[in-house]
Amino acid sequence: MNDGLAIETRGVRRVFSARKGFLFNEVVETEALKGVDLQVHRGEIFGLLGPNGAGKTTLVKILSTLLTPTAGTAKVLGLDLVEESAGLRPRIGLVLGGERGVYTRVSARENLRYFADLYGIPAVGRAARIQAVLERVGLAESADRRVEEFSRGMKQKLHIARGILHEPEMLFLDEPTIGLDPKSARETRKLIRSLVADGVTILLTTHYMFEAEELCGRLAVLSKGRIVARDTVAGLRSLVGGDRTLEVEGYGFDDAEAARLRGLPGVSKLLSEEFGPRLRYTLRVRSPELTLDQVRGALPGHPELTVRERQTGLEDIYLDLVEEEAN
Amino acid sequence: MAPPMTRRRALVASLRLAALMFLADPQWLVPSLIAPVVFALVSYELFLGSSAWFVLYAILGAGMMSMWGQTLYGSGWATGQDRELGTLEPTLSAPAPYVYVVLGRVIWNTIAGLLGGAIVYVVIAITYGHPIPLDDPWAFLALFVFVIVTLSAVGIVFAAAYVYTRYAGFIQNVGEFAFYVGTGCMFPVVLLPFWSNPISLIFPPTWALDALRYAAIPNYQGFGWGLGWDLVGAVATTAIYLAIAGTIFTRVERHVIEVGNAAWF
Repeated sequence: MNDGLAIETRGVRRVFSARKGFLFNEVVETEALKGVDLQVHRGEIFGLLGPNGAGKTTLVKILSTLLTPTAGTAKVLGLDLVEESAGLRPRIGLVLGGERGVYTRVSARENLRYFADLYGIPAVGRAARIQAVLERVGLAESADRRVEEFSRGMKQKLHIARGILHEPEMLFLDEPTIGLDPKSARETRKLIRSLVADGVTILLTTHYMFEAEELCGRLAVLSKGRIVARDTVAGLRSLVGGDRTLEVEGYGFDDAEAARLRGLPGVSKLLSEEFGPRLRYTLRVRSPELTLDQVRGALPGHPELTVRERQTGLEDIYLDLVEEEAN
Repeated sequence: MAPPMTRRRALVASLRLAALMFLADPQWLVPSLIAPVVFALVSYELFLGSSAWFVLYAILGAGMMSMWGQTLYGSGWATGQDRELGTLEPTLSAPAPYVYVVLGRVIWNTIAGLLGGAIVYVVIAITYGHPIPLDDPWAFLALFVFVIVTLSAVGIVFAAAYVYTRYAGFIQNVGEFAFYVGTGCMFPVVLLPFWSNPISLIFPPTWALDALRYAAIPNYQGFGWGLGWDLVGAVATTAIYLAIAGTIFTRVERHVIEVGNAAWF
């Protein structure tokens, strides 16, 4: 394994089996991951995007030793996930978001103290470490309240506090800002950036494209258990057909007009969406020369026509890739 | 493998958290203290006209209800609660082996069970103005602790079942009262049909409870092979259960990671 890699997987597959039927004699298999190859460099924030059920959480659980792969090999921080999991666990942190995963009848501080002991954090300095983490995630003032009184956002912060308590080298964040209000989400993103500044490598799964765009140096899009693309945001833009996106909206377009739009110079892709009687064409454009007037010129007889331009965003890229995979 | 320090710390941390959770959740007071005390008081009234030793049968049954519920049921159920709270996954992903987390809980439940049994005894003594007579109080005390150890051994195996499958609670609930009666918690196993005795003897508490009655009741016959063989049987079956627990926990942890059902409840 390359020393500069924090994660390296080759052909990781994961099949879940479930027994069904009256006598549980029917075995149903679901292939959640279909041969995932992934390399994450030390010190980067790597984003993992994908629709629900794409296999993101399965991959995170495999990489954090909570699940064994059915086939393939995987190393994190140079250690094999199956053979060397005991040596790896103290060096990685896992944040699985949501309402569950914390002891609700005791305080946040007690939760952290318990996990500090499970991670072998020295008793001398343990209290100071817990206090520092509570302050870092913004829970210091609520530290001695029972967790059952916490909002979802506060529980999420507690999850993060637990994940970073033992100062891991590698942190897995599974949708860390889901359910957070905008202010808390922004604070969490700030915290994530500060962790990377401290040298922590982060694998982040998220549904929020702006978050991935803001935080991640490189990204992979996972769809139906396969990585369908991986690159920087700029690299992914060129992959899906250009960094310019033109949107054309109007009524009563016919096939010939759609073909004319597709034939314009630099247009690499044409997508259509209906909004009641209105139709929107979305054009991915590689050429910087194509002007809005040229687009209008291709659709004469539509005085109501609206044409606008914007940069191809990560959401566009993501939707294109997932749609391509679905088709 | 986690260093010994981490394992010891995990055990103590788990014991501490179990105590905090117990104190924070008053619902445990019902099976651990209130129900056994009520059961003991009712038993005492029902058998008041009988000999003092017969009354002791009933009181022992009540005391055992507390210890059985807290030690055996509590140890397994705590792992089920980990599944329900979603804390099983983060706990399994920590370096400390999960068996030490379970051991910490079992030790706490042992302490709580002892406390429950003692409270039953004290309440009866205070209510009726005199202590319940015991044939050999010191032997009784020692064996009382030993009974808890045997219950704990079974509790650890039950806890492994809870890690293995989310359906362990169903199995435990189905077997709950059969176990309570079948191991002699309520009355001596020899009073049950003969065919059931070999099944009862598979469980360490059966032997230990029979031994406990030797220390409590003069001329107690039990299985008829005497206190010594009861102790041998109790030690042997407890050792087997602990060996089984030690072996299966590693396998159970591996199984959960292979199947991926730690988040299910």
